[in-house]
Order: sequence, then C-alpha cells, then structure tokens
Amino acid sequence: MKKSVVVLLVLVLATALFAQGAKEAAGMKIYLITMDQMDQHWVNVDKGAQKAVSELGGITYKWLAPDVKDDAKQIECINNAVAGGANAILLAANGPNAVTAALKEAQEAGVTIVYVDSAANFPAVQTLATDNTAAGATAGKELLNALKGSGVNAGTIGIISVNSATASTVAREAGFRKAFEGTGFTLLETQYCDGDAARSKDMSANFITQGVVGLFGANEGSTVGVGNAIAEAGRAVIGVGFDKSDMILSLIKSGHLLATMAQNPDVMGYEGIKSAYKALKGEKVSPDYYDTGVSVLTKADL
Amino acid sequence: MKESMNKSSFGRVLSIRGMAQVFTVTIGLIILCIVFGIMNPAFFSARNVANLLRQIAPILLIGIGQSYVLITGNIDLSIGSVVGMSTMISATMMTKGTNPWLAVFFTIFTCLLVGLSNGLLVSFAKLPPFIATLGTMTIARGIAQIANNNYNTDSIGEAAQGFRNFFYYGKTLGFYNTIWIAIVLWVIFNFILTRTRSGRHIYAIGSNVEAARLSGVSIVSTTTKAYLVSSFVSSIVGLVTTATSGMGTMDAGNGYELYAVAASVIGGVSTLGGQGLLFGTVIGASIWGVLQNGLQFAGAPVAIRNIVIGVIVVVSVLLDVIVRSGKASKLRLSSHRQVNTVTVGE
Repeated sequence: MKKSVVVLLVLVLATALFAQGAKEAAGMKIYLITMDQMDQHWVNVDKGAQKAVSELGGITYKWLAPDVKDDAKQIECINNAVAGGANAILLAANGPNAVTAALKEAQEAGVTIVYVDSAANFPAVQTLATDNTAAGATAGKELLNALKGSGVNAGTIGIISVNSATASTVAREAGFRKAFEGTGFTLLETQYCDGDAARSKDMSANFITQGVVGLFGANEGSTVGVGNAIAEAGRAVIGVGFDKSDMILSLIKSGHLLATMAQNPDVMGYEGIKSAYKALKGEKVSPDYYDTGVSVLTKADL
Repeated sequence: MKESMNKSSFGRVLSIRGMAQVFTVTIGLIILCIVFGIMNPAFFSARNVANLLRQIAPILLIGIGQSYVLITGNIDLSIGSVVGMSTMISATMMTKGTNPWLAVFFTIFTCLLVGLSNGLLVSFAKLPPFIATLGTMTIARGIAQIANNNYNTDSIGEAAQGFRNFFYYGKTLGFYNTIWIAIVLWVIFNFILTRTRSGRHIYAIGSNVEAARLSGVSIVSTTTKAYLVSSFVSSIVGLVTTATSGMGTMDAGNGYELYAVAASVIGGVSTLGGQGLLFGTVIGASIWGVLQNGLQFAGAPVAIRNIVIGVIVVVSVLLDVIVRSGKASKLRLSSHRQVNTVTVGE
C-alpha cells in the first residue's frame, strides 16, 4: 500500500515536471488533432501544417491522433494538448457534439480553436473544410457535361456510397443529385458498400447490367469499385469519383474513370496554421468558413 | 441402419438431418428468382446470371467455413478480418514486387495460422469460441492494418494481371473463374464432411462433445481442422477481393463473418452444432446473393434490403425450430438420437 502511494507520488511529480518543462520551452505552441492516424488524408493535413510552421517560424508544432476513430480518445488528445501547454489547437472533430465539453475546458484555459476538415458545435476562430455538397455538385456537373458531350441526354445513373451515417459522403451524394435536377437523367437508389472496393464493384456491375449511362463513387473504395466494373464491362458508361489514390489514378489513366474529386487536405493544414497564428497575434481572421475546395483530376492532369 | 440405407425413396432423402429445411429454402429461392425475374426481365439475362453467380461465390466460400465451425458447435467471428488480412497481405506483397503466386501461398499460410490459433484456443485452452475468435478477429484486423503501415495499398499493377484473371476476371468454359473456385472447393469440402472420418467426427463433437470424446474422437484436432477450413476459405475470399479491386483495402471483409452465419443458418445449419449440410449453405448463400442483386434491380433502398434479409434469417431458423418441435412431439427423442449415432458410427 505504502509502496503504491510512493510510486503514485513519483509519477505525479514527474508529470508535473514534464508539464513545467514543456511550458518553458514554448514560444507559440500549436497542436493538430485528427480523427485517427490511419488515413492518408490526415498525413496530408499534417504535411500542409508543417509547411506553414516552417514558413512562419517560432512555432512548436505537434500532431496528436488516436489510433482509431473514437470520441473518448479524441477528448483525451484534446486534454493532453491543453495540459501540454497548447496555445492553439487545429481540430478535425469526430462528431458535432462529442467533444464540445473538452473544447469548452480548452477555451477556458485560453486555447484558440481552429477546425480543419470537420467542425464541432462550438465556436471557433475558423473552419477550413471541403464543402462536400459543393464538391458533390462539381462531380455531378463533370459527369453531366461528359454525358452531354458524348450525345447522351437521358438515362439512369447509379451511385455507390459508404453508408447512410457518414456526413461527408451523404453531403457529396446530395450535391451530386442536385446537379442532375431538371435534366433528363434518373438517379437510381444509392447502394451502400461500406467503402469495400470488392462489394462496390459487384454493385456497380449490377448497375451496368441495369443499363446505367453513368456511375458515381462517393469515396475511395466506392470509386475503385466503379472503375473496375466499367473496365470489365467495356461499355460506354462514364464514371466519376472521389479521392485520390494510386488505384483511382491508374483507372483514370486507363480511361475507365473520367475524373476524380481530390480534396485538398494540405490546404486545410497550411491555411489552418496560418489562421491560428494570426489569431494568436490578435489579428482578425476571416472568413468563418473557408472552403478548401476540390481539384478535379482527369486524364489530362496526369 | 441397413434398412434405412436400402430405402431409396424421397422420404429417405428427407430423413437426412437438415434436408427438410434445405428443401424448404430451395423452394423459397426458386420463388424469389421467379418474382425478381417477373419484376425485371434483365434479372435472367446471361450477363446478370454470370455476375450473380460470381457474387454468390465468395459468400458460399465463407459460408462453407462457417458451416464447418457451426457444425462442431462453435462459431468463427474472425472470418471477415481474415478476409481483410488476406487482401492486405497479398496486395502489399504484390505492390512491393513479389511474384503474385508466391504472395498467394504466403497469404494462405499466414491466414491458416489464424485458424490454427482459433482451433487451439477453443479446443485446447477451452476458451469460449465467441471470445477466442473475437480476439483473433481484432488481431487479424490489426494485421490487415499494419500490413501496409495503416494505408490501403497502391494498385497491384500489370504484373498481377494473371492473378486477377485467375481469381476473378477470367472465364473457364463460359463461367467466371471465381465460380469454378467455389465449386471445386465446395466439392472437396463436401466430400470431406460427408464421406470421411474427419467429417463424421465434426458432426459427432457438435452433437455431443462428451459422447464423442468417450468414443475416442480427438476434440482438439477435429475442432482445429474445422477452424483451419474456415480460415482457408476466408483467405481465398481475400485473394478474390484483391483480384477484384486490384488493390488492398483495410476494411475489406468487414462483417463477412455474419454473412457467413446467415448463409449457413438460412441453409439449415444449426448454430447449436451437430446438424447441417453444405447443400444448404449453397442455397443460403444463393438466397443472400439473389436478394442483394434482385432488390438492387427492384430499386429498393439498402435499408429495406437489410430488413428483408434479417427477416429471412429469423424466419428460416424459426421454421426449423417449429418443424423440429413438431417432430419431437410425434416421435420419441430416442429416434433423433438414433439418426445421430448412425451418422457418427457409419
């Protein structure tokens, strides 16, 4: 019993010393907290942030992320950042409400909050994210123009998405559907395949059998499935998708996909750090919502 | 026993444990096909039939594995993760320039290690199968993630075109290779289950583990064999997935263990062990595939499809329960036991 008390005391002391040490070293301390470490997307946010840090100078920067997407773990990261003496946090919030209490505590500790990729229901200096509805609409317009360009003015179109609970892909789908309003095209019931490229391919093949003229994939796995199905069918079906990966780019190169919407996570990180820097210097940051947009990648860009 | 062997009537076939449900669901499958065919003529087009059969093949394969394990009275929750692991290991190796066939062998070997662990944990260490395979499910998913450093892989490239054709895109005698793979493996595993000593042991420990032990059946080796079959077919489905996508995704196979349970129980495999036929698993997997395909054609939202599949799973098991309790009230319990011993002692 006594032993454990001693151990505990030593631990507390060590932690306190660490925290103290960290505070002393700080000039301006900015933390990036993402949903997980798994996705290339977050690596690119980090890259952009690092670029801004090296350009601005005088910033201590650190990327924290849970191993998997988990609300409790993200809250822990926020608490750790605050304890580590963060002046500002760039946060990709897991969900709108789960982390607000932790953010309130952070703000009370004087931490400036900037959202990257996805915001929570808590006021912050700025949100830098892809407007997914607008991006989906861009994808829809690309497909519409390509269909019209090849003389197709009516027909059915299939959509492959992840599930009905992921806000970003749901918004992309809504934007995509909107782009076809008032045209001669019919959009079929969306097929959800959990981002599984093999299942997405099966569902896309079913769509092609049904005679669709166009296909849309709302994320990486869906898009790969769409591309592979078109490649196999060898029919004049036009496919557009989302995200940038080696496989998607090779499907575009081989002509089986028309285009993919690439998000700009590096812009989120880069501009996010700049905004946090400005806010910490007491300058005004605008706008409140910064659409980092999507880049349309076609064969011509590769 | 001899008497029943000589009876070659329809009644004799029906008297095989589980055969009655196979007939019921086969009729259900035929009705489903007719309904979808009427709703959409394209359902019976050559193109859709070929695609549909190829969509059924992976479900059938994992269904065979889960059926084996269910018949021993256990469950394998690691199937989906082993599919993911197989996809990620094979795709990562191929993107790094490994010969595709070498990658295939290495992948199957590592996946079999999961089956070996499952078998030993359940039979030797006597962990509850639900817990043991829940653990290996998580571990296998972790391996899938770590295989390429937490990223989906790049394209497996042109060098792997032969591999992609062998497992998915190629055709032999007019049918896609995936279908042939499923048929060949089904024939082999059905033979093992119905015609060999190992197969009879699998039924025996599922019916009554103590009785089997007393009559000299090795619980450890029999259980492990069933789990090895399950991991083997899962690794094959993982390879099919890699071939389909031309890349490896870490989420591949998510939830497949439950599709496999559905295919098995719709086809009359009992989750309590000791009963089930791989004929039933074929029908169960087909019903699953036909619903996915047919309801998409019918323009039904995914939510409706989920509800329909859920209802069918429950109803098919319920039917079995009703049929059996009806029988039990007519016959004495001993007659059930007799059928059982016949299967074991044959």
